[in-house]
Amino acid sequence: MWPVIVLLAGPVLAGLLSLVIRRARVLHTVNFATMLALGVAETVLTRQVLVEGSVTTLGTLVYVDALSDFILIIITAIGLSCSLYMWSYMDEQVARGVIAPKHLGVFFFLFHMFLFAMVAATMANSLGVQWVAVEGTTLATTFLIAFFRRRESLEAGWKYLILCSVGIALALFGVVLTYYSSVRVLGDASSALNVTELIGVADRLDPNVLKLAFLFILVGYGTKVGLVPMHTWLPDAYTEAPAPIAAMLAGVLETVAVYTLLRSKAIVDQALPSEFTGNLLLVFGFVSFVVASLFILLQHNYKRLFAYSSIEHMGLAMIGFGVGGLVGTFGGLFHLLNHALAKALAFFVAGNIHRRFDTLEIDGVRGLATSQPVTAVATLVAAFALVGLPPFSPFVSELLVVSALSAQTFASDTVHVGRFVAVTVSDEVRSVGLVALFLLFGVVLFGGMMAKIGSMVWGAPREGVARGESWTVGHVPLLVMMAALIGLGVALPEPLRTLLARAVTVIVQR
Amino acid sequence: MSEFTHLGSQLVNLCSVLLLLSCFAIVAQRRLSACVDLFALQSFFLATTAALVAFLTGHRHIYLAAALTVVIKVIVLPRILRKVIERLNVSRELVMNINIPAGLLICGGLVVVAFFITQPIIPLGYLLTRDSLAIALAIILIGFFTMIARKKAVTQMVGFLVMENGVFLGATAAAYGMPLIVELGVFFDVLVAGLIAGIYTHRLQDAFDSVDTSELTALKE
Repeated sequence: MWPVIVLLAGPVLAGLLSLVIRRARVLHTVNFATMLALGVAETVLTRQVLVEGSVTTLGTLVYVDALSDFILIIITAIGLSCSLYMWSYMDEQVARGVIAPKHLGVFFFLFHMFLFAMVAATMANSLGVQWVAVEGTTLATTFLIAFFRRRESLEAGWKYLILCSVGIALALFGVVLTYYSSVRVLGDASSALNVTELIGVADRLDPNVLKLAFLFILVGYGTKVGLVPMHTWLPDAYTEAPAPIAAMLAGVLETVAVYTLLRSKAIVDQALPSEFTGNLLLVFGFVSFVVASLFILLQHNYKRLFAYSSIEHMGLAMIGFGVGGLVGTFGGLFHLLNHALAKALAFFVAGNIHRRFDTLEIDGVRGLATSQPVTAVATLVAAFALVGLPPFSPFVSELLVVSALSAQTFASDTVHVGRFVAVTVSDEVRSVGLVALFLLFGVVLFGGMMAKIGSMVWGAPREGVARGESWTVGHVPLLVMMAALIGLGVALPEPLRTLLARAVTVIVQR
Repeated sequence: MSEFTHLGSQLVNLCSVLLLLSCFAIVAQRRLSACVDLFALQSFFLATTAALVAFLTGHRHIYLAAALTVVIKVIVLPRILRKVIERLNVSRELVMNINIPAGLLICGGLVVVAFFITQPIIPLGYLLTRDSLAIALAIILIGFFTMIARKKAVTQMVGFLVMENGVFLGATAAAYGMPLIVELGVFFDVLVAGLIAGIYTHRLQDAFDSVDTSELTALKE
């Protein structure tokens, strides 16, 4: 009970406090202390979930099972490292006069509202409340993206607000349709959207309604995830957002959006053959993966580069969930954690580089290794992890996804193109083809990413760029995340493995 | 079917159709302030539909939703939008990506699409409000289209609110309203979204001397 209350009330209290506190040091302390408390509460909650299986509390408003608990771990872990990073990042922005000191409180207020909305979306038992919370994340972050109030950031913030609101309005129609089908079966109007109720009766829901509902939900929440072709807001928003916010958007918000999709998938899969949701996710995943890896080649702005890499990794996770099964789903979930760590690290270093070099252009950054040695190492680690090199943990999850893909069997071996053309391919050809495509674009991505990052790290920095890097509190999360990326690549701790395995059974029913 | 329910069903259908008609009127309207007025009118029809459904079915909580619709979507949000228009002096004719006759034709097509999509699932609905689900989807699609076809920040906001109205009609019609906590949450989100859009238009005006979103072109590949 109390861990749930801490997780929900902590950000709200901290947010309200931030509005009245004037001194920067106190603001940072409150922020860090809150995140620490959330971390502790989440640890206790995880233990509880591991022992009891799931936790339902606050009436039936809150439902936490292995899947949502795993997402909560990502939220609190990235949130905690963000709070440390923001300490030095925001202070420097104030010192440079980019933001007025009095706006720091507003920044933290919005940050905590964002956090609250994400925690609420993950914990909500009702799909409707979950929708309200996801829309809440849009509303809280739009001003965070536009926080520096430059023309470009206002543009990015507006685009984000409009596109995500439209997407999410479509998702609400999907939720309404789910309710439409469930209220017929359950009768009780007030709890007919609760996951706990739905999961029990899902096989009796009307398949036609659920099909339509999932399509709307996929397009709607898919906009938040940043799946191609609904991704157009994403590169702009990530580029214009302050670095710690970009880290939260890429590492955590995308993960939460994927989570909302998985919740619906788990329900729809009981009423329909799992190929329906699986193939949809597979198609969206592949298109996102391929398009994003091609766009990575074109980027000349390193934050945009990382943004497209996010789209690519979400596509990859979607391929995992689309293939489904135990291995694919496990790989997809594990990849969410690995991507969150690697991408948050990437945006942290992007913030460091931007502050030192005053440019977002890849061509403007040379000789990172001499000017900022620690950041240079972190940049390389982030890049290696993002392209999927061992021994970093994304390698492991990507390997799982690829092996699930190669073991994929298809229900029918005839693909209908239009009404009259039917192509028949054998199973082997198809899965080999998909894997080959996957690996081909994996190589494209590797080349593009490493060439660009390499040109930033090596060489001599241009005139006027200071050399040497002094330690700040903002470097702590860099070290911790590098260690985590390597550690998780070598061995998965036992509790986390159990949690993941149970989360898989939430999504894949047998 | 009793005479009473039959009449009720006809009334609900009539109100839904009025909602749809006001959508077409918004698409055909060039003046910003008239768009906002039409949105308020549409929300009023929505509240009437909700109240009718509440009266005919005896679901009390729908009255609350109807009352909130009147307060937020008929009074508060249009007032915010009118203030924005006044302050920004943007009541001029709208520039559109698609001209009005073509837009209306496309919207007609969208209505057909909506009826086509919902055909397999309509028989599941309650007798009273069956056909409203298709109309709700049509309104959502037209709202979506409005957001694409119009360039001004204010009209994009109106388009979003029209979509929201469509979803709400769908919820009321298809399932006699969502659970109360969800409904309250949705209203809260819509209200905050309206406020945020109001602040944005102000800041966009300061930064660009325009709320024409087609001038938002600094961010490109």
